[in-house]
Order: sequence, then structure tokens, then C-alpha cells
Amino acid sequence: MAAFLECGPFSASDGEGRVLFEGVSLSLTDGQFVSVEGPSGGGKSTLLRHVTALAHSPDAARKLNGECFSGAELPEWRSRVSLVAQDAPMIAGTVRENLEFPFCQRTGRERRFDDVRAAGMMTQVGLEQLPFDREVRTLSGGERHRLALIRGLLWDPRVIVADEPLAGLDPDIASVCLDLLLQFGRRPRRLLLCVLHDPAMSARADRRLRLANGHLKAAV
Amino acid sequence: MSNFIELGPLQLALATVLIFAAGLVSMALQLGVERRLGIAALRTVIQLGLLGLVLEQIFALRNPVLVVGLLLLMTVFAAREAVTRASRHYRGILVDAWLTMAATCLVVGGMVTQVVVGVEPWYEPQYVIPLLGMILGNSLTGISLCLDRFMDHLVVRSAEIELRIAFGATRREALAAPLRDAVRTGMIPIVNSMAAAGIVSLPGMMTGQILAGSPPLQAVAYQIVVMFMIAAAVALGAMMVVVLAGRHFMGVDATLRLDRLTSAKN
Repeated sequence: MAAFLECGPFSASDGEGRVLFEGVSLSLTDGQFVSVEGPSGGGKSTLLRHVTALAHSPDAARKLNGECFSGAELPEWRSRVSLVAQDAPMIAGTVRENLEFPFCQRTGRERRFDDVRAAGMMTQVGLEQLPFDREVRTLSGGERHRLALIRGLLWDPRVIVADEPLAGLDPDIASVCLDLLLQFGRRPRRLLLCVLHDPAMSARADRRLRLANGHLKAAV
Repeated sequence: MSNFIELGPLQLALATVLIFAAGLVSMALQLGVERRLGIAALRTVIQLGLLGLVLEQIFALRNPVLVVGLLLLMTVFAAREAVTRASRHYRGILVDAWLTMAATCLVVGGMVTQVVVGVEPWYEPQYVIPLLGMILGNSLTGISLCLDRFMDHLVVRSAEIELRIAFGATRREALAAPLRDAVRTGMIPIVNSMAAAGIVSLPGMMTGQILAGSPPLQAVAYQIVVMFMIAAAVALGAMMVVVLAGRHFMGVDATLRLDRLTSAKN
């Protein structure tokens, strides 16, 4: 089967110059939930930042569905291979601004933000009581995590790259969120690449990768 | 223009008493600033003294090459000073600051001296040097505030900037917020002093002209020109310097390169 997402090689070291990984490449098929596991501090988050082109990786090539992206095309790449970051960052403003902003940027200008779908998804993850005009700085950590996740899903890129998107959520809510992510990733021409803390959650992945000692291998 | 009281060495010596008074306050309250105050006072005397001597020569010679040379030298010092005041640096910051200073001087200074005031000949040092000096002095403050705020914004709000980038923001979109924030910060001092001019404070230049015997309305007219000139210079300079700085921290690939920040050496 032809690869849907191909990127690499990526190399990175931490602040002290210790090598996190070297020459790591990814080649993934569509319609899958792929998990990345490995010891903490092993560079999983850094690897996701390289895949989503947030980290500077001049030697890496990136290919999605046969189309190559580099240089000035990287914003377009990120709009298709989007990161749901670990600490659920928010832009200063309201819930609505946070969900909607990708649609106001150049790469999303032809697409429409769907209010009804947003409200529906918020209900699914237990945020139905949250008004759209609420300032995000007043949200709790758990609310922010769910909002960040919904933002990724509403944006509906080709690939969602998520860094521990379920961290700190109640088990019930976490399972609903994982279902939503799976629904997203298991469609044709979509892909979910996810770092998960909980082995039980990773066990549901279609393909499990493990980053340890600087190498990315199939997890046993 | 000659009905003013000349100041000689005796008068200057008497003024020194004031600095000693300030130093005594510092010592009495153990503020510890007396040393810095003393050095600053000494620098003021030496720097202004040298400037006076140079200006006397340049005014006497009225040579365009000398005037332009002095102006260039002033832009270099202004750029250096602006960079020294910023708490973070990057490679090439001095070049960016200098380019900005030179460009604002050329555009705004050129407009004011050649079009508004209509100086004859074009390099007449009596007008060109003080006017451009004022542009430099004020854009120096504006540019250093602006640069400082810009880099600070990049660091403190990097998560927010990267969030936009993660969803496909272009360089222009990703840097729009830090740019706005920085230019606004850089313009605060001049906007404030324009708003307070004449009510809270008598601007320094106007005061000087009045002391030197100019009719107050003439001094006011010059002051208005100068304030508008400074506002334009600061706005243009602030915008230009952050656009230049932005290029160091983000290429067309819109990757945020905070690794290019260095902390100030002193």
C-alpha cells in the first residue's frame, strides 16, 4: 500500500546536547490510528513537532498523499498535518475565537466554520454549558484540553498529530474523546498520529510505534 | 536672536552644586546611585563639550561632506545605544537598528529639512544637525522599546504564536500580533508627550528656543513640526525594525526560531 504520510529524516537533541533521535523517518498509511509510545523525556513531543514542521528541520522531506511540501509551502503542510499540542495552548480571547481562528487564516479561508457542528461536539465531550463568548483564561485545565481537541477535530485536517490529548481528563470523558479521535482517523485519506500516556488507550491503536534510545520501532 | 544671558565657566560650576545635592540625597538615603550619577554627569559634560566643539567647527566650515559624515556617525551611535538598551539580542540586531535609523533619518529628516522647513543650502548644519539629532534621540527610545517588546512577546507568548502556526498561519499572520504589540509599545512615549505638550510640560526644544530669545509662537511652530516629525520617525522606525527583526526569527516557512535569541552581553 502506498504511504499517505511520509516525512523525515528527523534528528534532534535536547538542551544539554544529548541526542534524542537521529535519522528518524515516518511512513504511514491512511485510515489509521497510530500511537507513539516510549519513555518520558525520550523525545516523543519533539518528534511530533518535527512531523508538524514546528521545529526547524531543514534536511527533512515531507510528503502527503504524494504531494511534497517544503519552504514556503510549510504553512500549507501544517494546515493539513495539524498539531494538537500537549499543554492545550490557547490564543487570548473567547472560546469562539479559539475554535474559529484557523478558518480566518489564509490557509483556511475557503473553508467555513460550522457553529452547529462545534456546539454538537462540545456537548459530546461535556462542554455543553460553555458559552462561545466565554474568555478562555477562565477555563479549567480539563476544559482547555477538551477545547483544544475539539479545535483540531473541527478543523478536520488530513492528519491530526496529537500530543497526549487525553491527559488529565476523567476516564469517561477521555474515552469519549478517544472515540471522536478514532472516528476522525479511521476514515480514508485521514490519519491520527498520537502520543498517549495510557497503555490501555494505546492498545486500541492500529499501529503502535515506540521511540526509545533514539530509534522509532514497532512496539511489541 | 542675541538677547539671552550667556553662560560661562562660573555659571556651569554653580550648576554642579545641583548634582552634588542629588548625590547627597542618594548617600543620605543609601540609594547607592551616587557613583552612577557622578559618572553620568561627567559623561554629560564630556560628551556635550565635545559635541559643542565639533558643532562650532562644522557650523563654521559649512561643508556638506562633514555634515553628512557627522550624521552617519550619529546614526551609528544611536543604533548602538538602542541595541544596548534591549534586554535580548540576536545576530544582526545592530545592523537592523542602524538600517532603521538611517532610513528614518533619510525619509523623515529629508522631508522636514528639505520640504517643510526648506533649509538653504540643503545641508545647513544649524538646522539639519539639531533636527536629525532629535529624530535619532527619539527613535532610539522608540526602536529599543519596540525591539525589546517584540522579542519579549516572541518568548512569553511563543505558545500562542506556535498555535497559530500549527494551524497553518503564514509568517505574516503569525507575526501580526507581536508586531502590533511592539509598535504600539514603541510609540507610547511620543504619543504621551504629544498629549501632555504645553499642559503638563514645556517641551525641551521649545524651552531652549525661548531661552535663546525666539518669539514664543515661532518656538511653538518649530515644536509642532518637531513633534510630528518624531511621531512619524518613531512609527516608521518601529515598524521597520520589527519587520527586519521578524525575518531573523521566522523565514517564509513560518517556523519560529527562538534559538536565534541571545541574551544581552552586559
